[in-house]
Amino acid sequence: MDLISILATVILITTIGTLVVGVAAYIAFKLRDKRKPKRKDPTAEEHGEMQPIFLKRYVPGKQANASSADKPS
Amino acid sequence: MGLRQIYSYLLAATSIAGVVYLFVISFGGIREFDLGKFSILFENLFLTVVSAYLLFFLALLVLRYAMLILYSFMEHLENMMKRRQEPESNFHDDASLPMITLVVPAYNEGPVIQQALRSLLLLDYPNYEILVIDDGSSDDTYEKALAVAREDHQVTVRVITKKNGGKADALNTGMSAARGEFILNMDGDTKLSRNTLRACIRHFDDPRVGAVAGNVKVLNRENLLTRVQALEYVEGLAMARKAQSFMRAVNIIPGPLGMFRKSVLQQAGGYDHDTFAEDCDLTLKLLMRGWHIAYEPTAIAWVETPSRLLDLLKQRYRWTRGILQATRKHSSALWNPRRAGINFFILWYMLFEGIMWPFSTVLGNLFFVYVGLQYGVVIFLFYWWLQLTILDIVAATYCVIVEEEDPSLIFYAVVFRLFYITIIDISKVFATIEEWRGTAMTWGKLQREGKL
Repeated sequence: MDLISILATVILITTIGTLVVGVAAYIAFKLRDKRKPKRKDPTAEEHGEMQPIFLKRYVPGKQANASSADKPS
Repeated sequence: MGLRQIYSYLLAATSIAGVVYLFVISFGGIREFDLGKFSILFENLFLTVVSAYLLFFLALLVLRYAMLILYSFMEHLENMMKRRQEPESNFHDDASLPMITLVVPAYNEGPVIQQALRSLLLLDYPNYEILVIDDGSSDDTYEKALAVAREDHQVTVRVITKKNGGKADALNTGMSAARGEFILNMDGDTKLSRNTLRACIRHFDDPRVGAVAGNVKVLNRENLLTRVQALEYVEGLAMARKAQSFMRAVNIIPGPLGMFRKSVLQQAGGYDHDTFAEDCDLTLKLLMRGWHIAYEPTAIAWVETPSRLLDLLKQRYRWTRGILQATRKHSSALWNPRRAGINFFILWYMLFEGIMWPFSTVLGNLFFVYVGLQYGVVIFLFYWWLQLTILDIVAATYCVIVEEEDPSLIFYAVVFRLFYITIIDISKVFATIEEWRGTAMTWGKLQREGKL
């Protein structure tokens, strides 16, 4: 077997390997890109905003109404 | 000359000698080659059509390389003669230099923003300001940029923070807030060479020049992947831009370094949001309006490139689809050579590079692998690889000499052809198919490692 034939065989194996790696790398990239954190968290609202689990949000309007309602007439 | 330099030259010389040797022995091999084996390629219609197509593609490729080398060499000579005839000091005295605003869009650039801003403060130019646009980062980019702005400098540093709207939106905000007559748009992770502003501004002496593209080089040459990219940036991008600059029609002003007349940018309406390659889209908009776009090889933007394969594919996927989107947006010039003038050639060249080239090289590889396995004639694949590698080596050698780059990059031309470009071309082919099918995509921000 002469040098060119040996080199040609090496190139053939390398090319097949590179083609396989190229396709596999692309599939891996797409799979990695598709992975996102799951939105169906029990604490998540419909639009995706997370509600605090232990603390209740302070809403000035509600608080004022509540405090005026608590006042004795 | 240090040991490292000797090693670089030896590596380059060995690569060139190796390829020349292969060429000589394969040339001798062809003479002894049983010409009857060529008849395999014409055995049926499929083989004949693909062989003829690949031959046509090769002819186009050789023409492409020859034209790029010729034009870029002419541009190189023109620049050399200009510098000899008109020394820079006679051109502009410092007092008359116009103000330039450097717009730095930053989204989660926390690890690199301070180093990037500090390097910008050292630029050799008397009249400029730095404007950082924090595009709603979720990390400490804004705080870090603000800390640099509060330090005592001769150069004004301003920081604007806004809701996240993408790079195009950030650059448009920068355009509106800029005080300079000229705007230099860059990336948050880019390091500029000290002469950048002086080197770019001289092109605007020509009133037809609306923008100047800079020379982008790879900073993090730390592994095989980034070194091959360093060669790609020099051979594939810089050489093409230099050749296009001879016609004053650079087709992509790179995101990391582009200088514009503010008035031209405003007239064009700034960056649009409808493509993923806003730099390419804006460049085409300027070209369609008749503006000349020059290239300045001595204005260098050092960038951090992806050091992992999947990150690289993510970047190239976005580039490919973005460039196709921009080309489609301006596709009227494809069918109207009389009205479009040079833009007609630019768009067809972009389609050749974006679609025909990757599809053809992947097809060529698959075809010759098939011929090798089916008919037991592997030699065709070897010749196919060898002639592409010779083209790459010639172009790489020329670019390394002209750009005064590291000679060892020539060695990577072999790696480039053997592994790298096949993988990139496969992802380009898939990205093109997805763009054609209209698959949804996202921006895909590259995670910075802070190598600046």
